[in-house]
Amino acid sequence: MEGFIATKLDEFDRGKISRRRLIEALTLAATTVYATDAAKAQAAGSAGPALKVALVNHISYSCPNFRQAGDWYSKVFNLDQVGLKDTEVTLPFGKMGEQPYNVTAKDVPLTFIIARAIDRPVNPRNVGRPKPEAVIDHIGYTVADFNRERAKAELTAMGVKNVREAGMQSLHMDDPFGYDVQISGLEVNALRGG
Amino acid sequence: MDRFIADLVKNYESGAIDRREFCKTVALAATVYAAGDAAKAQAPRGFKMIGINHISYTCPDYAKVRDWYVSVLGMEKAPGRDDGQRANLMFGPEPGKGGSFVVARNPPANPRPAARAFVDHICYTIPNWDDARVEAALKATGRPFTSRPGNKNVLDPFNYPVQLANIEEENPWK
Repeated sequence: MEGFIATKLDEFDRGKISRRRLIEALTLAATTVYATDAAKAQAAGSAGPALKVALVNHISYSCPNFRQAGDWYSKVFNLDQVGLKDTEVTLPFGKMGEQPYNVTAKDVPLTFIIARAIDRPVNPRNVGRPKPEAVIDHIGYTVADFNRERAKAELTAMGVKNVREAGMQSLHMDDPFGYDVQISGLEVNALRGG
Repeated sequence: MDRFIADLVKNYESGAIDRREFCKTVALAATVYAAGDAAKAQAPRGFKMIGINHISYTCPDYAKVRDWYVSVLGMEKAPGRDDGQRANLMFGPEPGKGGSFVVARNPPANPRPAARAFVDHICYTIPNWDDARVEAALKATGRPFTSRPGNKNVLDPFNYPVQLANIEEENPWK
């Protein structure tokens, strides 16, 4: 909380936010921290962030041919396709009723990819949005029983393009639209990979 | 095994793989098969997906986005994985047990050619969803966001769209 306050204050001092914004931000932060639920308040006060993401819910992937993308991800990762619409298809990482790997909370759904048509109508909510200065340049997926050489052979046999090694425990490849996809096992993680 | 070879031949005939790759792959498959791992040497049927390993996020200033994802989304900096150019930000299950991470990084010296596709946003699940709490937390960031019950869309410090949702609003079978 102290760090957050210092940051906001610093922004105010440098003229980046108005007095009104400073007050609003600090009031809201304080309200959040000292919510009625004592346990939550304690956690928020000591840990800092008011929110804690549990898992990727979905990846929204825009491409020239969403059916082709859907078929590719289905083939490579054994994913079903559900919810086919005019401009998108959904690929869940498992079957209905399954829990995400090592997640016990019942309100955390399986992750999914939504393959979408790049030329779909613009969502009115997104009109006027500034252009992002950041990019997700690749996504790494964790797969079961990963073995680099075996995986390489399988990918090659499936006709996957531009399969290339990335250390001993992962592979990169291109999807049908040249998007960089990485696969690895559980060994590649935040403490020793990326 | 025969289906595996048949598929391989098909790919070779169509030009999807060259002679060298073909030979190498057959030899490798034979080795795996001989090693007694017959099940795994069967026809290629894809991989069993466990989940997202990581999201590689490139931006003009990784430190700025690192701090935002930690302070706003509750991700954790992976110890020893911040080299001044990039940082790993963990969330979800423990590392090595299905946990995911965002790699926040500065632009590389030699970026890959642009693909014809892109990830236009990432949505994260927040458990124990409380609309007022999520909204208050986002307001506190000073970043623009839109709000519906169980579903918020915010722009991060580099205007990359981040969606936050609960299971009722965002699940594969909705």
